[in-house]
Amino acid sequence: MSFLALEKLEKRWPDGTHAVRGVDLAISEGELVVLLGPSGCGKTTTLRMVAGLEMPSAGRVRLGGADVTALPPSQRDVGFVFQFYALYPHMTVAENIAFPLECAGVARPERDAAVQRVAERLDLVALLGRRPRALSGGDQQRVGLARAMVRKPRLWLMDEPLGSLDAARRAEMCELIRVQQLADRVTTIYVTHDQEEAMRLADRIVVMSQGEIVQAAPPREVYDRPATLFVAKFVGSPGMNLIEGDVRAGRFVPAGAHASIALPNAVADGRVVLGARPEHLRLDPAGALRGRVALEAHAGPWRHVHVEGPWGRALALTSAHETHATGAEVRVAFDPAGIRLFDAASGRSLA
Amino acid sequence: MSTTTDVRRHRGGSTIAWSLVGPTLLLLIAFNVFPLIYNIALSFTNRELVGEDSRFVGTTNYTRVFSDPLFAGALRRTALFVVCAVGAELMLGFALALALVREFRLKRAVLAVVLVPMMLSPAVMGLYWALILNGNYGVVNQILGSIGLPQPQWLTDRDLKFWSIVVVDVWMWTPFMALIALAGLSAIPPHLYEAAEIDRASRWRVFMRITLPMTAPLLGLAVLLRATDALKQFDLVMATAGPNDAATQTLSTLLYQTVFRDGKIGLGAAFACVVLVLVIALATVFTRYLDHLRRARET
Repeated sequence: MSFLALEKLEKRWPDGTHAVRGVDLAISEGELVVLLGPSGCGKTTTLRMVAGLEMPSAGRVRLGGADVTALPPSQRDVGFVFQFYALYPHMTVAENIAFPLECAGVARPERDAAVQRVAERLDLVALLGRRPRALSGGDQQRVGLARAMVRKPRLWLMDEPLGSLDAARRAEMCELIRVQQLADRVTTIYVTHDQEEAMRLADRIVVMSQGEIVQAAPPREVYDRPATLFVAKFVGSPGMNLIEGDVRAGRFVPAGAHASIALPNAVADGRVVLGARPEHLRLDPAGALRGRVALEAHAGPWRHVHVEGPWGRALALTSAHETHATGAEVRVAFDPAGIRLFDAASGRSLA
Repeated sequence: MSTTTDVRRHRGGSTIAWSLVGPTLLLLIAFNVFPLIYNIALSFTNRELVGEDSRFVGTTNYTRVFSDPLFAGALRRTALFVVCAVGAELMLGFALALALVREFRLKRAVLAVVLVPMMLSPAVMGLYWALILNGNYGVVNQILGSIGLPQPQWLTDRDLKFWSIVVVDVWMWTPFMALIALAGLSAIPPHLYEAAEIDRASRWRVFMRITLPMTAPLLGLAVLLRATDALKQFDLVMATAGPNDAATQTLSTLLYQTVFRDGKIGLGAAFACVVLVLVIALATVFTRYLDHLRRARET
């Protein structure tokens, strides 16, 4: 039996918005699950329902085998890290971290010892006497993290904790969170709209869109085998190349182009969208699709080449040494292993 | 700092600067600085309201102030008034604010009604309350009598009238405290309460550790304003009991009595100086404390 289970979870706001539509999710103990999706997809609402900060309109939340749907947050034994820190501004860092212990009636010496331990783990010892206002965003969120950790709750819930930090701080904090989570093996749900963060952290990514789960799978699988066109576009930076066309007699024929691409697997004829990651595209004189270089950009060890043709646009990754003049005629070849097909009507992955 | 140096650098701008600040400065000197100095000078004379005869008497007036049992009584009474009235206003106002901070139907209408007492003139309110509390035909005693309860002489009973004035003051100024407390409560971010819920804080602990400390600086300011105002309590006492009633005499009414009824301007000036020093001392201590609170929060 799973440690945490969401069963047919629903949330309707008083204004009629249907924020969460029948979310089913089972999470095992020690797992770090990232809820990933664009803003307004219901991921934060789902997290808040797990915390008890929001009451579901329907459905159940089970934690450790018990139904906690009707319980207030205080009876669920969870730690929550807020997007905007939610630190108590009039308390020092030490008092902030100690507050959950203070509420639990832990005696002063033990409280201080616990705060000291957490502060050492998160490198906060030098800041214990300061007040939140005097701290940088990253430091404030580390205090938020420490406060969520100090009581050793059964569940860590994190609501876009790094959303207001700059990129460098975010990468550093990501690593810190993962290291701490692995050390304690605390079951964690982490909400973000940043797919890179999700990739870095997750045991399993749950992609949400319009209140529903679109795909729940390990990062590698979400990246390699997106379940829908939405996931294909949303995950990966940049997203998958998508080319509309038809399958005819086992070959992909792009719309508006006199060409065809051999498909690795047998697929029934019909309207489809072909997807391929930029790293699975090559510029090759023997390639199937003809086009012109629209734009070229340097990207570290790679070079981004945007190719335009009657079939649409595609982005190929080439070696940094290769250069292509804008407007030059090129041909694009596809690595057969990297080709994914989606049903044009439903957007779902075909095999 | 930078603005002062800027002004100094642009010498040409000083004419404009003076012409802008000048009128206000003149008014301040005419109505604040000069009267203050004149008052201090008067306090060392035996000047009276009638008669031209006035000469320097040294610190005689001050010795009289400090040995005058009337002054000691008024000081004690005023202190009691400030503590009781402002204390009750603070507690009732805060309770009212706690009740009003949540959203409910007709909140705006209720808020408007609650604020009415504060909007009315204290002198007018004093007269109204004198009617309401009148021992013979006042509304309060009419009601008490109709249900067979005793009808105390609210404004003439020696032991009661001081407290009647306290009650009227509380009635008038509780809305002010409530308004400020409401502003303080509304400024607490809701996610702090969510964090406290996650941290398993009891309602009492949330109140003691979050609600109260976070509204304290603003409440402190309101207490300071009310306390300095209550120290000067005059209109309510005048409207209900008059300036020369031993049971209700405050510093301000004693001052009025000394100067305008007894006609002793020199002695009154000395009174005023002592009261002024007292108020400044209290206010300074209090603002220091508030400042300390604020600064502690930013390190």
